[in-house]
Amino acid sequence: MTVTQNRPSDNRPKLERRPRMNFETWSWYFMRISGLILIFLALVHFSITHIIYDVVETNSEFVTARWDNPLWRIYDWTLLALGLFHGLNGMRWIIDDYVRSPGKRATVKAVLYSITGVLFAYGTLTIITY
Amino acid sequence: MSPATSSTVYKGKSGQWAFVMHRITGFLVFMFLLLHVIDVSLVNLDTDLYNEVHELYGNVMLRLFEVGLLGALLFHAFNGLRIVMIDFFPGAIRSEKIMFKIVVFFTVILTLVGGFVILKPFLEGTAGLL
Repeated sequence: MTVTQNRPSDNRPKLERRPRMNFETWSWYFMRISGLILIFLALVHFSITHIIYDVVETNSEFVTARWDNPLWRIYDWTLLALGLFHGLNGMRWIIDDYVRSPGKRATVKAVLYSITGVLFAYGTLTIITY
Repeated sequence: MSPATSSTVYKGKSGQWAFVMHRITGFLVFMFLLLHVIDVSLVNLDTDLYNEVHELYGNVMLRLFEVGLLGALLFHAFNGLRIVMIDFFPGAIRSEKIMFKIVVFFTVILTLVGGFVILKPFLEGTAGLL
């Protein structure tokens, strides 16, 4: 007969090794991955438009020449999309922390999602159609 | 005192400052991004208006604003890297304080260097006050 010893940990529920991939876990990973990509995209973009070229040189001719190459359109659209959604999720976390009343929270989020959605659509349209 | 009315200052030293500054810089960069989508999209709507608005970015007030944007962007980028390192490398938490100092050091140095380049046209007298 084997003696089974009851250890305190036997009574505890088994911890899952991997978190369930619910929306919050997914958004946590998204922030880290998009953040790493954005470090490169945003700093290169800022360097081109403010350091390598002076900001007054970035007129409409500059935009025309740059967007002549579809790769720059893809670059700018990726920066637009990741930047907006990384920022949107960060704002969502900030709102959840500081706007405590459910009504106000829903209103502030509705405004945030609307503005971000409209600007994402408008920015995408600009990059595609210019 | 209920938790809702007690002081919200958590005496976490550098980690607390990193958290607060990450939120503030993230918020500011996001606000600029919303504005930036609008000013770039003018290129499609009215080229002359785009160029006029873009001229404004060359005045000294907005050049200072761009230096501030660079500082916020750099802090958020470097501190984001610090967060990712702490999250994905279990040993990194022990170097959390020195990493925060490195973040601040590179943010200040690169903001000063970039700021000098951005403000150079004003220092040379080729950029207007307004």
